[in-house]
Amino acid sequence: MRTNLLLKKFFIYVFAFIVFLIMFFPLYGLILTSIQPENIIRSRNLSFFPKEIIFSHFAEVLKPDHISNLYVGMKNSLIISILTSFLCLILGFPAAYSLSRLNLPAKNIILGSLISIYFLPTILFVIPLFVILVSYQLDDTILSLAVPYTAFILPFVIWILKSFIDKLPIEVEEAAKIDGCSTFQILFYIIFPLLRPGIIAAFIFAFILSWVEFLTPLIFTNNLKISTVALGLFRSTIDIKIGQQAAAAIITLIPVTILMIFFQQYITKVVLTGSNK
Amino acid sequence: MTDHSKHPSNLSFKFSRENILAFSLILPSLILVFITYLYPAIFTFIISFAEYDIVRLKIKKFIQFKNFEFLINNSFFTSAVLRTIYFGLLICLFTSIFSFLIALLLNEKFIGKAFLRVMIVLPWAVPSVVSGVLWGQMFHADTGFLNALFYQLGVISSYKIWLADPLIALHIIAIAEIWKAIPFMTLFFLSGLQSLPSEAFEAAAVDGANVFQRFFYILFPLMLPIVIPLFLIQFVLAMKSFDTIFVLTRGGPGGGTTTLNYFIYQEAFETFNLGRASAAAYVLLIITLAVVLIPSISRYVVKIFWGNK
Repeated sequence: MRTNLLLKKFFIYVFAFIVFLIMFFPLYGLILTSIQPENIIRSRNLSFFPKEIIFSHFAEVLKPDHISNLYVGMKNSLIISILTSFLCLILGFPAAYSLSRLNLPAKNIILGSLISIYFLPTILFVIPLFVILVSYQLDDTILSLAVPYTAFILPFVIWILKSFIDKLPIEVEEAAKIDGCSTFQILFYIIFPLLRPGIIAAFIFAFILSWVEFLTPLIFTNNLKISTVALGLFRSTIDIKIGQQAAAAIITLIPVTILMIFFQQYITKVVLTGSNK
Repeated sequence: MTDHSKHPSNLSFKFSRENILAFSLILPSLILVFITYLYPAIFTFIISFAEYDIVRLKIKKFIQFKNFEFLINNSFFTSAVLRTIYFGLLICLFTSIFSFLIALLLNEKFIGKAFLRVMIVLPWAVPSVVSGVLWGQMFHADTGFLNALFYQLGVISSYKIWLADPLIALHIIAIAEIWKAIPFMTLFFLSGLQSLPSEAFEAAAVDGANVFQRFFYILFPLMLPIVIPLFLIQFVLAMKSFDTIFVLTRGGPGGGTTTLNYFIYQEAFETFNLGRASAAAYVLLIITLAVVLIPSISRYVVKIFWGNK
C-alpha cells in the first residue's frame, strides 16, 4: 500500500514535470531567442541555456522608427482595451442584474442568443462592418475598434457577471428593498460593492480579449493610421530579424502576463462560478 | 367576483412595471449587440446573392445562387471545407484528451501545484499572433528549436523546412491552436471533476474496482455531460481560427492550410469578391449552427443510454 502511494506520487511529479515542459517550453524558446545575439540563434549548435545575454533586441524594437511601431501600438492597445472593458462593464452590469434577479420575459432565450452569438464566426460580421466604416470614413479610429470589440465581448461579460450575481445572497437585496431602496440604489450601493471579484474578473477578461484581438484591427485599420500591438507584432514578422521579432512578442505579452499572474485566481473563479450551477 | 377580477389586473400591472425596468436595464446591451451582429448578418445574407462593387460600395446586380454554385463547383473551396472539419476535429480531440489528463493531474495534491496552474493558464492570455510567432520560431527552417533538438539528438540529418510541406504545416498550426486552447478547457474539466460525488469512487474502490475500471465506468460517464459541450465549443472555436494561420502560412503552401475561415478572408480582402465571401461565410455559419445543435441531440442520446441518474 505504501509503495503504491509512493509510486502514485512519483507518477504525479513526472507527469507534472512533462506538462510543465510542454506548456512552458515554447515560451522559454521565445525568451531565449529574444536575449541572444542573432548569429548565435542562427548557428547550428544551438544551446538551450544561454551563454551570452543581450538586451539590444528589446532596445531596437522600442525605438520609435522601428517597423513594428510598438510604442504607439502599446499606447493604442491600452486605450482600446481599457475603453472596451469599461464599456462592457457599464453596459453589462445592469444587463446581468436584470437577467439574474429581475422578472425579465424570455430570459433564457435572451441569454442563450447572446451567448451563442459569441461562437458565431467573426468574419461573418466583419465584412459589412468594414463596408459601413469605410463608407462613413470611420475606419482607422480608436472607436472603430473599441465599439465592435465591446459588441463581441459584451455577451461574455454579461454571462460572467450574471453567474457572479446568481451566487450573491438575495436576502441583502430583499432587506434593502423593504427599507425602501430603489433598484438603482440596490444596484450601486449593494450589489456593486459585493460584486467586486466578479467585476475584476469581467474587467480582466474583457481587457485580455481585446488585447489579443487581431482580425478586426487587421481589417478595420487598412490605412494603417492607428496600430495595435498585435498588428505591430505581425508587421515585425515581415522583417527577418528573428531576435527582434521575439523581443516584440515578449513586450506584447508583458501586460497580459502580469494580469494573469496577479489575477489568476479570478480567472479560475469565473470558470468555477460559471460551471457549478 | 369583483375581488377575483381585480386581483390579476393588479398583479399584471406590478409585473409589467418590473418588466419595463428589467427590459430597460438590458436594452442598451441588446441594442449594441444586435446592431453590430444582426445588421451585418442580414447584409452578408443579401450580398451572398449578389455581385458587390467594392469601389462604389454598392450592389452591382443580383445573381441568385451563382455565388453558391461557384463555390460548390470550386475544388479549392470544397477541400477547404473538408480541411476545416478535419482541422476542427483534430484540435478538439487532442485538446480534450490533454486537458482531461491535466485536469486529473491538477485534481491531485502535490507541491508546486499553484505554480503549475499559472503556467497552464498562461497560454490562454498569449495573443494568437504571439503564439503564431512563437510556434513559427519553434519550427523555423534555420533557427528553430525543434530543428536544433532533433538535429542534436540525431533524429534528422539536416534542418527541415517544416512549413514548406502543406500537411505538416496544417498540423503545426493545429499544435499552436491546441497549446492555446488547453488552459481554458483544463479549468472547465477541473471544476467538473471537483463537483463529482466522491462517494461513487469510494464505493467502487471498496468493491475492488481498479483504476481503469473506475475511470471508464464511473469517471468518464459522470464527466460526459461536461465533455460533450466543451468538445463542441472547442470545435466551433477551432473553425474560427484565423490569426495563427495568417501569421504562420497565410493559407499556403499551395492552399494546404486554407481553412474555410481563411478562405472567406482571402475572398473578401485579397480578391475583394465580397459576394462570394459572404456566400462562403454563410456556409461556415451553417456548419457552425449544425455543430451547436448537436448538444441537444446528444443530450437526448445520453438520456436514453445513461438515463435515470
